[in-house]
Amino acid sequence: MSSVDVSDGLRDELEALAVKNKARSIGVALHDLETGFRFSLRGDRWFHAASTIKVAVLLAVFRAADQGRLRLDDSLHVRNRFFSAADGSPFRVTPDRDATPELYAAIGRTAKISTLAHAMIVGSSNLAANLLLDFVGVEYARTVLREAQVDGVELRRGVEDHGAHEQGINNEATADGLLSLLSAIRRDFLTPESKREVIRILLEQRFNSMIPAGLPPHATVAHKTGEISTACHDIGIVYLPEREPYITAILTEFDPDREGRRETVAAISETIYRSLLQTKPKSNDP
Amino acid sequence: MTPEFLRPIDGLRLAEEYRALLRPDEREAGANGTVHHLPRFFYEISTWQEAHEIRLAPHFTLAELMLVDCREARLLLSQFPHYVPCAIVLLARFLEAFRREVDAPVFISANGGYRSAAHQNGGAKSIHAWGTAANIYRIGDTFLSDTKSMEKYRMIAASLGPAVFVRQFGREKGQTSDHLHIDLGYVRLTPRECSEAS
Repeated sequence: MSSVDVSDGLRDELEALAVKNKARSIGVALHDLETGFRFSLRGDRWFHAASTIKVAVLLAVFRAADQGRLRLDDSLHVRNRFFSAADGSPFRVTPDRDATPELYAAIGRTAKISTLAHAMIVGSSNLAANLLLDFVGVEYARTVLREAQVDGVELRRGVEDHGAHEQGINNEATADGLLSLLSAIRRDFLTPESKREVIRILLEQRFNSMIPAGLPPHATVAHKTGEISTACHDIGIVYLPEREPYITAILTEFDPDREGRRETVAAISETIYRSLLQTKPKSNDP
Repeated sequence: MTPEFLRPIDGLRLAEEYRALLRPDEREAGANGTVHHLPRFFYEISTWQEAHEIRLAPHFTLAELMLVDCREARLLLSQFPHYVPCAIVLLARFLEAFRREVDAPVFISANGGYRSAAHQNGGAKSIHAWGTAANIYRIGDTFLSDTKSMEKYRMIAASLGPAVFVRQFGREKGQTSDHLHIDLGYVRLTPRECSEAS
C-alpha cells in the first residue's frame, strides 16, 4: 500500500458510514491504478453476490468466444425454463423482477448471444443471465474464474433458483474477489477486442444510483449493481479524465426493510473518491 | 413458393462432411432400446430466403420448421445448403390440421422443428432428427406454460390420429415443460423419384 494514512482515514470514514446508515456489514475493496494504492475493508467477508455474479457470467461468455467455443453473433433459443442446481427441478424466472421485459417477447424464438450479454448487464436481465449460464455451463464459468485467478467469487447456479437458495446453494462473493474479477477484465485475460466490448457493455449500465451517484459528473463508470432483499452492491471501474482509473467493489448487507441502502453505497463511493483525490466532501464544496 | 420446387437428394450421396453429421440411413437405438433408421432422403435448401418462401402448408413455411440455434453443428447452422428430411412435409400438413382445429396461429419454437442428428439437444436420439416432431410454445396469444393450457391442446392434438404422440404434461423432470411436444413417429419419406437401392 502506498499510503497508510489514506488507508486508515478511509477505513475510519467507511466504518462510520456503516454505523450511521445501520448497515449490518460492509465490505469494500479498492485498487487505484494511478498510484497502485490498494485498500480492503472486510474484503474477505462473503456476501450473497446478487446480480454482481453476472459479471462472472460475462467474463465466461467472452472467454468462450475468445476460445472459439461460441460466436457472439450466434443465436440462442430464448426459453424460460431452467433446472435447479439443487435437484434438477425446473423453474422459471419472473418477468416482473426483470429490468429487461422486452426479452420476454422473444421467448420461443432466438436472440443473439451479444444481445443477451448486453441485456444481462445493462438491464440486469435474469432471463438473459440464466440463458447464458445455461449455455456455457456453471462448471465452465467456474473454470474461467480459476484461470483468471479470481478468488472470492463462487458461482454455483443461475439466478432466481429458489430451490437451490432454500438448500443454501447461493452465488457468493467477497469484495476482494469481485475486485479481482474486474481486474481480470481490465488486464489481458481476454483478447483486446473482448476486453473492449466487455468494458463497453459495463459502461452502458442503466442503474446508476450507487457508485456513479457518489462521483462528479465527469466520471464514467463501467459497473454492475446487485440487489436482493438484504444485499445491495455495486462494483465498477471508475474512469476520470485527469487520471488513471480505479477499481472498486462495494458490498453491503442490511436488514430487509432498511431504506437508504443505495444511498449508503453512493456515500461510500463518494468517500472513496474523495480519499483518492484528496478532495473535500460534496457538502463542503463551494 | 410451393413444395413442388423442393429438390430431394439421397443423403448417402452427400459429401462426407455432411454425411458425418446427418448420418443418413444409419441405425440409432433409442432410450428404450428400440432401433430406428435415421432419414435417408432430404430436401436441399439453398438459402434462408428460399426456406422462408417455401410454404409446406397454407400457414407453415419451411423456415419455421428448421429454425435452430447455435447448438446445431456449425456446418449445418451458418452456411447453405441446408438439408431437411423429406418427411417434414407430413409434419407441416399435420400442423395445418392442428391449426384448423384450434382455430389460432400455432408457433413452433427455435430448435423445435427439425434438428439434425448432430444437434446438441438430443442429437440422433431425438425424434426431431426425423423432421416429424414439433415443439409448440404458443397458440394464439396463449403461451403454453401451465398444466391447463397444455392439457387442452394436448387432447386436441392427440385426437387427430392414432400415430400422433403428444407428451403428457406432468411434475416430473422431462414432463414439465414450456412447450407442447407433438410427433408423428419415426416416419421416413422416400420421394417418388428416388431409389432406395444403395
